[in-house]
Amino acid sequence: MIFGRHGTFTGGIDLPDLKQAVVARRIVAADRPPRLRVPLAPCGGAPARMVLSAPAHVSAGQKIAQAADESGVDVHAPLTGRIGEPTEAEVICARGAFISPAIEITELGPVEPIVPTAPVFDWRTAGAELLREKIAAGPLTTARPRMRRLARWVEDARRCDCRFLIANVVEPQPHAAADHRLLAEHGTEVIRGLAMLSMATGARETILAVDSRRTGSYRRLEVAARACGVSTVALPPKYPVGNDTIIVKVLTRREVPIGGESFDVGVAVTDAATCFAAYRWVACEAPPLGRVVTVSGGAAAQPGNYYVPFGTECGELAGQADGLLVHGGVMSGHMCSPATVVTAATDAVLAIAREPAVAAAPCIRCGWCTDHCPARLNVAALNDIYELGRVERSERAGVLACVECGVCTYVCPARILLSQRVKQLKRVVFGLRERIPLFTTER
Amino acid sequence: MSVGPVETTEKRPAVREHYVAALESPFVRAPEEVRTVFLVTAGAASLPLAAGVVLFGWRAAIVAAISVVSCAVIERLYYWVTRSPALLGRSHAYLTGLLLALTLPASAPWYVPVVAAAFAIVVGKAVFGGVGHFLWQPALVGRLAAAVLFASSMNPDLWPVLGQDKLFWGDLREASAVADSGQWTGRGAPPGADAVLLRHPRSTLAGLTRTTEPRFSALAYTPDGDAVPGARTTAFRAMPPMSDLLIGARGGGIGETSVVIIVVAGLYLIYRNYVKWQLPVSILASAALVAAVAPVRFSGANDTVVRLWWPVLAEEGEVGFIYICYQLVSGGLVLAAFFLATEMTSRPVTTGGQVLFGIGCGALAMYLQLYVATPIPAYVAVLAMNTFTPGIEAIWRPRVLGRARFRRPGRTFPR
Repeated sequence: MIFGRHGTFTGGIDLPDLKQAVVARRIVAADRPPRLRVPLAPCGGAPARMVLSAPAHVSAGQKIAQAADESGVDVHAPLTGRIGEPTEAEVICARGAFISPAIEITELGPVEPIVPTAPVFDWRTAGAELLREKIAAGPLTTARPRMRRLARWVEDARRCDCRFLIANVVEPQPHAAADHRLLAEHGTEVIRGLAMLSMATGARETILAVDSRRTGSYRRLEVAARACGVSTVALPPKYPVGNDTIIVKVLTRREVPIGGESFDVGVAVTDAATCFAAYRWVACEAPPLGRVVTVSGGAAAQPGNYYVPFGTECGELAGQADGLLVHGGVMSGHMCSPATVVTAATDAVLAIAREPAVAAAPCIRCGWCTDHCPARLNVAALNDIYELGRVERSERAGVLACVECGVCTYVCPARILLSQRVKQLKRVVFGLRERIPLFTTER
Repeated sequence: MSVGPVETTEKRPAVREHYVAALESPFVRAPEEVRTVFLVTAGAASLPLAAGVVLFGWRAAIVAAISVVSCAVIERLYYWVTRSPALLGRSHAYLTGLLLALTLPASAPWYVPVVAAAFAIVVGKAVFGGVGHFLWQPALVGRLAAAVLFASSMNPDLWPVLGQDKLFWGDLREASAVADSGQWTGRGAPPGADAVLLRHPRSTLAGLTRTTEPRFSALAYTPDGDAVPGARTTAFRAMPPMSDLLIGARGGGIGETSVVIIVVAGLYLIYRNYVKWQLPVSILASAALVAAVAPVRFSGANDTVVRLWWPVLAEEGEVGFIYICYQLVSGGLVLAAFFLATEMTSRPVTTGGQVLFGIGCGALAMYLQLYVATPIPAYVAVLAMNTFTPGIEAIWRPRVLGRARFRRPGRTFPR
């Protein structure tokens, strides 16, 4: 495969590659969970209305709830089973955790592995309008940049006249390997899904960005990539290249404005799982019933890459491990309870050995946080601002440009929780801006 | 999963923030800790100390031991008396004591390191609130106090260095003067003594710039009038060979003389990412630039004074490089560039700020060395620039990702 040239970004850090346990493991179907709790509002907003009621028997893929409004999605039964009582489920997306109404499914059938399905719809000749209609009709969600319907994402990309569509398959965080396995094993479908999204959004350039350490696994995708007009780029896995803002900077040299999204500079960013789900729905008419999740970490019972139906509890996946349960990567993920359910935003569930807490020392101004900040913030100065309580200075210092990657906390030798402090400053600045109009600077 | 209390390895109770530490990303940490930083820096600083012990004998080791121990003891005493919590344990006190010892001459009497350590810890560090809060590099505060309080013993005319056959085991106090007090290489200790007394190369060079009446007729070559009896000698003829200065066989502080060892240890610090290469490079480069431009004085014909700008170009540029090297290595500038100006708390954080800081340090140090009669020009320059560190931090703001280049910040917020 021929990989294109690329730039890089200031800051960032090469994290230890802790993927040996999972990177070579093929995707297998997860064990049958005792019950599923399928969230009815995985994107927030109004929950979907049930079309079936309590003791009904459902088969895998059958629609069980109808979207209530434009922002919601239909809900399909991930597995064969019996519908139980309405309940609630904790859902985690990039912006944090929330509680969604959910429906419980019990007496489950086995989890089927991903099988390649013959396409029933000729998406290549369908035209962008028809593709968009198909996407809008389906239960597709995307987690980038925040959890929402894929159709909304496509609309936003068209409204911003996106020139670039980037599929970000670089996973620079330790342990994460789900997108890598998906691309290695079902790469043709992923690339076709990417090309399809490209047609739907009207992007002129479509880029597949992969990890430069894993290019050997992607060689046989060359034909598909060339046929679909997808250019491929291998990036060194310097964290946080997985971040939207950073990969936009690396691949297009455009800088997302402070507090903005990648759409603001005409770039749409997606990932392998979204492309795969979109292809399966549009071309094969198979609704997304689950996703590939990396289960790893020092305390995980059985590390591996599993195809997990939506609504499975994270605690089931990790086993009864005595450790921290982390949803997403170790650098930017969230700690979750075992009852948190798997949604389209779940790329990894990690059980990490609980480390003893260490007392923070005073800042010695080594400057490593500033050196490694991918947003080029002077984090040491922001820490001073935090400690002195001078919030009004933090906006001028650029605190809203923080991409919340966590590198500053990672490198801090004094063990100060820098990224939490910066996030707190951000929250305060946003709060002040909303409440006191005088504080807001000119637009 | 229930979130129970987190056990701590330390005796101090974990405050609430550390409890939250486990609940928010990132969940992994880099292995480097503050203690590691200080101890590794101290390990690197012990390389110049070892060179000093070889060149100046066991008295250098005694001075260093007194300095380190009194720093640790005084810090402990201070926190015991004031009842304020000890910040960061002892590792930074060890480092401060070691750096202080590097700057002190080995012939100093025992009370000099004790008093200097007291100033370093109390005035330089504890008054400001401990590690992370002080404005001036504490070791240099102590060194400045020693230079002011013990001016005579800190700055003698002739400095002892062990003879080549008496290295390491010799007694520095058993020194005797020799006739040609410049060269060390190829000369053993005089009979009945362990050390030779050498003139400090800085005082030789000062004859070029600092005095109103110049002592030398030229930098390198003898002009035609040299054949005349009583004519003045050239400057380089009075200087020790460059190899002596590079290995450190000259007068000066214990650790500031051996340039080769300092550079090796400094490169290790750069490799460990404790020091950015830009800081020592900008210090040395700006010092070299000032030395290359700033005028020297020669005695011309009939006792007139010739002021020569751009000494780097003197005598068709053949001696300029050697002249600049002599100026750079004959004081404490190299030690200051790699170990003292790079003290993390008292230097700016951003790379550009460090370059500004380094340019100021180097230029000021070379100015003081050339024209002001101070025994510690490089250290005074670092202390002076430490004062401006907060100002440099305030004016040097790197452009944040996503902010427009040439517009006033604060007016460019999108949407």
